[in-house]
Amino acid sequence: MLRKFRLRVGALSMLAAGSVVILATAPGAPARVGPEGTAVRAATTVVIWTDRDREADITALANAWAKPRGLTIKVVAKAEQNNIRSDFVTVQAADAPDVITGAHDWVGELAANGSILPISPKKTTLAQIPKYTRDAFSYGKTVSQLYGMPTHVENVGLFVNTQLAKVPKSWADLEKQALAFKRKGGGRVGIDVQQGSGGDAYHMYPFFSGLGGYVFGKTRGGALNPKLVGLDNAVFMRNAPMIDRWNRLGLINSKIDNNTASQLFTSKKAAFWVTGPWNIDTVRKAGIKFRIVQVPKIKLRAVPFLGVGGMMVTRFARTHSVESASKDFVASYMGTKNAQNFLTVKNGRYPANIQSAKSVKDVALRQIGLAGTGGVAMPNIPQMASVWNDLGLAWVKSTQGAGATKARVSFKAAARAIRQKIQ
Amino acid sequence: MTTSAAPTPKSRPDAVKWSLPTRIVTRASGVVGLSLKILFLGIINAAAVWAASVLIGDEKWIAVAVLVVTTLALDAVFLVPGRLMPLKFLLPGTLFLLAFQVIPILYTAQIAFTNYSTGHVLAKNEAIDAIEETSLAPPAGGKTYTLAPAFDSDRNLVLLLVDDSTGDAYVGTKDGLEPLPEEGTRVSNGVVTAAEGYRLVTGPALFTLDRQLSTYRVPVDGAAIRPEGIDGAVELEPTLRHDDEADTFTRIASGKVFREHEGAYVAADGEALEPGWKTGVGWHNFTRVVDDPLIRRPFLRVFAWTIAFATLTVTLGFALGLLLAITLDKKFRFQRLYRTIFVIPYAIPSFLTLLVWAGLLNDDFGVVNNLLGTSIPWLFDPWWAKVSVIIVSIWLTFPYFFLVSLGALQSIPGELVDAARVDGAGVWQVSRRITFPLLMVAVTAVLIASFAFNLNN
Repeated sequence: MLRKFRLRVGALSMLAAGSVVILATAPGAPARVGPEGTAVRAATTVVIWTDRDREADITALANAWAKPRGLTIKVVAKAEQNNIRSDFVTVQAADAPDVITGAHDWVGELAANGSILPISPKKTTLAQIPKYTRDAFSYGKTVSQLYGMPTHVENVGLFVNTQLAKVPKSWADLEKQALAFKRKGGGRVGIDVQQGSGGDAYHMYPFFSGLGGYVFGKTRGGALNPKLVGLDNAVFMRNAPMIDRWNRLGLINSKIDNNTASQLFTSKKAAFWVTGPWNIDTVRKAGIKFRIVQVPKIKLRAVPFLGVGGMMVTRFARTHSVESASKDFVASYMGTKNAQNFLTVKNGRYPANIQSAKSVKDVALRQIGLAGTGGVAMPNIPQMASVWNDLGLAWVKSTQGAGATKARVSFKAAARAIRQKIQ
Repeated sequence: MTTSAAPTPKSRPDAVKWSLPTRIVTRASGVVGLSLKILFLGIINAAAVWAASVLIGDEKWIAVAVLVVTTLALDAVFLVPGRLMPLKFLLPGTLFLLAFQVIPILYTAQIAFTNYSTGHVLAKNEAIDAIEETSLAPPAGGKTYTLAPAFDSDRNLVLLLVDDSTGDAYVGTKDGLEPLPEEGTRVSNGVVTAAEGYRLVTGPALFTLDRQLSTYRVPVDGAAIRPEGIDGAVELEPTLRHDDEADTFTRIASGKVFREHEGAYVAADGEALEPGWKTGVGWHNFTRVVDDPLIRRPFLRVFAWTIAFATLTVTLGFALGLLLAITLDKKFRFQRLYRTIFVIPYAIPSFLTLLVWAGLLNDDFGVVNNLLGTSIPWLFDPWWAKVSVIIVSIWLTFPYFFLVSLGALQSIPGELVDAARVDGAGVWQVSRRITFPLLMVAVTAVLIASFAFNLNN
């Protein structure tokens, strides 16, 4: 009996000793626990979430900002930009970022959740950031707050293969050239723009706006009003039969998807391609001579959707006691010409800062920037989530070639469906 | 201890040949086994101590209690010899079941009774703070300042401010704004660089003051000057006021009152303040499925389609697989080759199959329409798309049913069929009365399983 007992005591003491040894050698030993229960990070470390494309540049920039201020940074790179948003929604305070890079159309949802903090940059900084990009990062039903520092602008433009066609002088000229090119046969298409079976309201927006379409109207205060859905407004309805004509002539066809669109242009089966700065490299590599312009005015100016990229300060910056540091980085440092030059030009994006935009040397980047002039920032209110699919499908149905639905019918139906979802 | 208490193992007369696993297990017991056991339990205990320290910090006492009891139970089960033996297997199994099945399900169910969604992710007190903060707006003629934080002679934090429009220098304290005397104050590039009686905070020290700095308010007639970052400050005034007693928000300009309603402050006209907070809403989410036609109609449609999809995929896939199995059950030339061919779709990764089919079914360029000479919108028309989906999922499932049926068919004893033949049964009777019932015994479970799988596929 005694022997057995001794054995057990021996085993227990060994166990205790083993536990202590493991505990002591384990990384991140215990007792780093803050007064409010959140694991305390050094109050001088700012955690930044970005995507892999921008990781190196953001790291370099943030270090350049942090070093002279005696701060440290930690950059976490997510595979895709959208992962930043989805991971951020569910993150626990201890792992949460203080600063995120993101797109302006996240602002509505994140602000409605109370997940990001309003910022008030200095007037001298604001003067260098165009109003439309600031508006894109603003949200608030009664009091509009700025929720991020715009760093770059993305939009689609009309890529013209200058060896196959001339830069169109007008919409009629574009139609004529595109149809003549298509008639040569051999799988050539008129205007190359990606849709696919799911539709693509983003790439189709120049045609939508050129016919008088818009997504949401505005309140008297100038904020977007989700109750005013503009898919079937009178002007657009009057111009909609033009879409049926394009479909009949085969000028635009919804069967072209993302991959096909790229193949068609790089294999010279398309002379006109509606796409964005992310494809400049692809076109260059294919050895194609090109120019980028805005889609010519149809009935109205055919402006693209603008996506504004930027940086935001999260509510966790406050929990982590790095609020003033994070705001300094986002609202002051990231607004400067030098920071924006560094971040955007290397990445092939058009900077938001006016001074920085003026200094862009890359010809194609300048052209795509100009093609965005007058563009409409994608609505950043959460209700936009109900629009993409229906608006994209309305285009698909009306431009699918044989058996297409009349545009008036499909856009009216889409507007009704969207109103129902938004109520 | 008496000799009869514990049966001591007798030497075995016939030397049993132990299997390899048994030999390995035997080898690993004794000193090696004991030290392995100690090591693993040590890791578990160490992890538990660490987790307990975090949980105690978070003051989650119930979780601490559960953790302590579980860890002690694990230690006891593995260290106390004898009676607790079965628990060695049962306890870890139960723990894993709880951790990976029961708790996620309970958590999901619990979420279903809350309004957790966009606009309702914070706790109520956090939401009140956020509403108060986002209600701030610059007052008419609101000023902005360039900021230099400093300590006064009593080591209190103050804000040395320069008005961005006039260039006048002030000192902001929790009592209000005072002009700085021109004498002894140096301003360069629009920021205070020295002031008599104050010690400027610079460098890393600035950032260690974060909590103090970002909550610092300098009151100025109804509004307040708030630091923004480390070198700016803005004058802002609230547009909403929270009444702690009544738990309401009031819009200062219009007097409109917002009261708590289902996790948000809502006015009489339905206007809700953002953000709301997470709270229990009882059966509301479930009654909406019945009450709200916008949810009910799509829900019923999707539900009906899901059932139809699962039923059609399983029955048609099984029918095709069975037909092929019966055909290939007989002996003929190249029988094995044919069998192999029909298993191939099962062996190809399904995402590849899906890509291939997407290409085959393309309206304009696809092989299917070209061969048939048709222009069916396989992927663009809602009805044809459903047909396509079913065709492709039959393609993916039939080899499985083919294999299962073939196996089941071959396991039916030939004597039964022979006996039936002798009794005068025809081919049809044999298959209906003998083969099919016996086949279904083996296949029914598989059919149910794959129906369940397709229902959530």
